[in-house]
Parts: sequence; structure tokens; C-alpha cells
Amino acid sequence: MSGQTGERVIFAILGVPMLICMLIFSWILSLLLTGIGSVRWELLTVSALQGGMFEMIVGTIYLLLGATAIAGPVGILAAIYLVEYAPSRGLTRIIDQAINNLAGVPSIVIGLFGYTFFCRHLRLGVSLTAGWLTLALMMLPIIIRGSEEALRMVPASFKEAALALGATRWKAISSTTLPAAAPGVVTSVILGIARVAGETAAILFTSCVLITRGLPRSPLEPVMALSYNLFVKIVALGTPAQKVFGVALVLFMIVTSLSLSAILLRIHYRKGQPWLMIR
Amino acid sequence: MNLESFLKSLHKLFMRLKSQPVEFILFFCASFSIVILLLMFLFVVKEGSLAFVRLGVQLIFGQRWETNSDLYGGFPLVYGSLMVVSGALVISVPLGICTSIFIAEVLPFQLRDPVKSIIELLASIPSVIYGFIGATFLAPLIASIFELHSGATALTASLILAIMVLPTIVGVSGETISAVPRDYKEAALALGASKWQIIRNVVLPFSKSGMLASVMLGFGRAIGETVAVLMVAGNVAMVPTPPWNYLAPVYPVTAVIAMQMGEAAVGSLEYSALFGLGSILFIITFVVNTIADVIVRRGPVTRGVQL
Repeated sequence: MSGQTGERVIFAILGVPMLICMLIFSWILSLLLTGIGSVRWELLTVSALQGGMFEMIVGTIYLLLGATAIAGPVGILAAIYLVEYAPSRGLTRIIDQAINNLAGVPSIVIGLFGYTFFCRHLRLGVSLTAGWLTLALMMLPIIIRGSEEALRMVPASFKEAALALGATRWKAISSTTLPAAAPGVVTSVILGIARVAGETAAILFTSCVLITRGLPRSPLEPVMALSYNLFVKIVALGTPAQKVFGVALVLFMIVTSLSLSAILLRIHYRKGQPWLMIR
Repeated sequence: MNLESFLKSLHKLFMRLKSQPVEFILFFCASFSIVILLLMFLFVVKEGSLAFVRLGVQLIFGQRWETNSDLYGGFPLVYGSLMVVSGALVISVPLGICTSIFIAEVLPFQLRDPVKSIIELLASIPSVIYGFIGATFLAPLIASIFELHSGATALTASLILAIMVLPTIVGVSGETISAVPRDYKEAALALGASKWQIIRNVVLPFSKSGMLASVMLGFGRAIGETVAVLMVAGNVAMVPTPPWNYLAPVYPVTAVIAMQMGEAAVGSLEYSALFGLGSILFIITFVVNTIADVIVRRGPVTRGVQL
């Protein structure tokens, strides 16, 4: 009996850290929620020139759409190659390693690279395009990893059935494996978007300005973004927290709803497709 | 794998790709990551080369970082980074590893997914938001507890950073714990082992390497974290006195890069020094991630685990 009590004590001690994690989350949530009352929601649609955040929200969406348009296709195709085609183990391992390393590059270094390579070497300047490319680099590993996992979970028999009917390899993959893996692939893309939606260090030098007149008219103009705005206002201008609470909250809600929808989607499709439960 | 056989397989690959346009496009996308990494290394190091030549080891070991007198000794910055990161890891490693064990082995099955989801949400909160919370809530709290003028200290940065790397550590070590083969646990159970005995004698030995990898990845994330740290670290480029004083402001490497890049004239020594620091950061994280990767690949049960 004493052994059991001892065990309970150990488990209780192990449980404390998890409770701390949960407490931290609820603390952050409660801090942000207390600010909800003081946020003036009409500012969402008011121009930044009048103290609103319309251009920042749209700017953030522009950045995310462009980066997704670049990293999405490249990432998904890369995942298909790695899962379905990659012939030699050696090469696949090197690519795998490179993807892991790319995922681990600090965002500030990606920002430095984006500045020298996209802004200066490719002469894009501080622009929306440079921001798209830089953010795409950050999304890429997440999309590849997630899509790879989704593709691997589809039973080979799906593809084999199509091959047996005479389909070419690509036809077999694109008409059986890919549709079956689609929810997982979409989840990985959403997670990629969530990862960069609040990114600041990478767009700090590459695509943002604190204030300009209106939205960018061409992809070669800089944009305003929520994360950048929040950062500069607190760090450089020392704006009191009350005034930037709205920006912080909107950004938090965008990012959290993106990742929450990815998580729910994943739980949902794992239930809906029984073969995915067997790993 | 030796170089010759590698080249041979590369040659074979190219012969195949020539006849398969679809495969060629896919291969191009997959090798993109390698190309980007190489370009990144080349360009960041190239911009830092002036500083490497003119400053040499002073860039890391020089004692004074004063932009006004054109002095770029990175030691206070490197020290600040190490201080903040080690503070963060001291807090987050025990917390994270205990949490991952608890979730995987003790927590009732129905609660696992919700708790994991919450931790995943914690991971997705952007660093500006963490910085915002740190600057507006945590820093004043620290200031009032320790009766300081300003709560922007190494301790504040460590705490915020600890929260930020916690999900990484919980996630990766959790993955490796769930990769422990069921047969082993069941065998121990059949021998009459209690739950704790199974954890200690089966789960822990098997997932040790994965836990080590999770700590390395946590280190990599922490040392590269920029915005949140910058907003709460106080940003004074001096080694605190005494050097273990966590209640003094520090100026971590990443924060310096983010703050001074805007003002540094392109091609100046300052500009180059910032890129020099950036390339050191790049190399450190590259090495740390590679080691974590190797640990996971060599681990007993973690071979299939994705980081």
C-alpha cells in the first residue's frame, strides 16, 4: 500500500508542471481578455491615418496571402516528392536535414537574409514582395513536414489500385493519395499561416513601414502590418499599453483562431477517416 | 555513405529526372530548402565578412559595444544571450519534461488531446504578443517584487523565453515518449511493474535521447528568439555586475541586430558587425539543430519521430 501512496505523490509532483502550463495559458488569456472592454472596435475599419487599424489588418492579410501562394504549392510538391518519389535514401536524408535546419533558423536571421538577398540583391527594396518571399521561407518547413505526415498516413493500397488500373504514377498520386491527404495538407498550410501571421523579426527590415498613405498599390511598395505596428509602437515610441491593446488583441485573435481551426480540423478528419487512425 | 556512391546515386537521379518532367518539378521543389540554406549562409556571411576581417575574434570577445565610438566588441551581447537562454532553460526544461511525461503516461486518455491542443496554442502565440505581455504585465510585476526602477531585466526575459520554449520541449519529448513501443510497456506490466516503475525503467531509458533532442531544439529556439526578448530585456550592452545578477538589464545578440539594423548604413562596419553576429547565430542554431537531428536518428526508438 505504501508503494501506491508513494506513486501517487510522484504523479502529483509530475502533474504540477502541467498545471503550471495551463495556468500560464489562462493567465495570458485573462490578461488579454481584460483589455477587450477598452478596445474601440470601430477602429477596425478606420484608416491608420485617423488612428485606426484598417490598413494594418489588410496589410497583414496581403502578406499572408502572398506568402501562402508561394510556400503552399512549393511545400506540397516537395512533400509529394519526399513521400512518393525520392529514390535514394541518402539524398532524402539530406533534404530532410535541410528542412529541419531551415525550420530552426532564427527569424531574425531569415530577416537579415531577406534584406540582403531579396531587398538588395534582387533589388526588390522594402516591399510587399520581399515580405512574401521572406515569410514563405518560414512557412515552407511547416507545410512540408505537415503535408509529408498527411501523405504518409494514406494507405499505399489506394495508389496501388489506381496503378493497377493503368494510371500513370502522377495520375495515381494526384487522383487518389492527394485527395485522401487533402485535409491534412490543408491543416499544415493553416498551421504555416498561423506561424507567420504574427511574425515580426522577419518582416522588420524587409517589407514594413509604420505608416503610409493607404494600402500598397503595387507589390513593390511597403505595407503596414499588425505585428510590426505593435512592435514599433512599444519599443521605439514607448506608447502606453492601453493604446496598443486593440492591435495586440486583434493579432492574438487572428493567430489563435487560425491555429485553433487547424487543430480542430485535424481532430475532425482523423475521426472521419478511419484508416488514418492506424499509424 | 561515401562520396562516390553518393555521386553515383545523384547521377542516376538526374538521368531519371530528364525523362520525367513531373518528377523534375517535384524534385526542384524538394531541393529548394537546400538551395535556400546555402544562399542564406553565403549572403549573411558575405555581408559579415568585413567585420570578420576587421574585428576578428573581437566580434565575440571584445568587451565594449559602443556604436558611437565605432567599437563592436560582442562579448556583453553574447553574454546577455547566454544568460537569458540558460535562465529560460533552467525553468523550462524540468517543467517541460515533467509535463510531457505526465501527459503521455498519467493523464486520463480523454484529457490528452485537449491539453496537447492548449499547449499547441501556447506555441502559436506570436512573439510580439509575448513581448507585449512581458513589457506591460510581467516587467512591472518584477519591478515591484524586487523594488527595481525598471522591470526590464535578464530575469524578465528568461521568464518570457521559458514560456515560449516550453511547448517545443513538451512537444518533442512527448513525441518520443509516445514512440516507445507498446510491447515493452506491456511486457513490464505483465511482470507486475507499477505505473511508476514502467515510466522509470521503460519509458525514460527509451526516450532519454529524444528528451535531450528536445532540450537542444529548445536552446535553438531560445537563442534565436528576438522580438519578445528585445521588448523585456532592458537592452543595455554591458555585462551585469556581478555577472550572475539576473536583475540587471542585458542586450542579447538578436535584440541588437533587430534594433540597430535600421540605423546602420549599408556597407559600414556596424552593418557588417550585425551580419557577423547574425552569421554566428546562424551557425550556432545550425549546429544545434543538426546535433538534435542526429540524436533523434540514432536514438533507440526515436528513429521515425519527426522534429
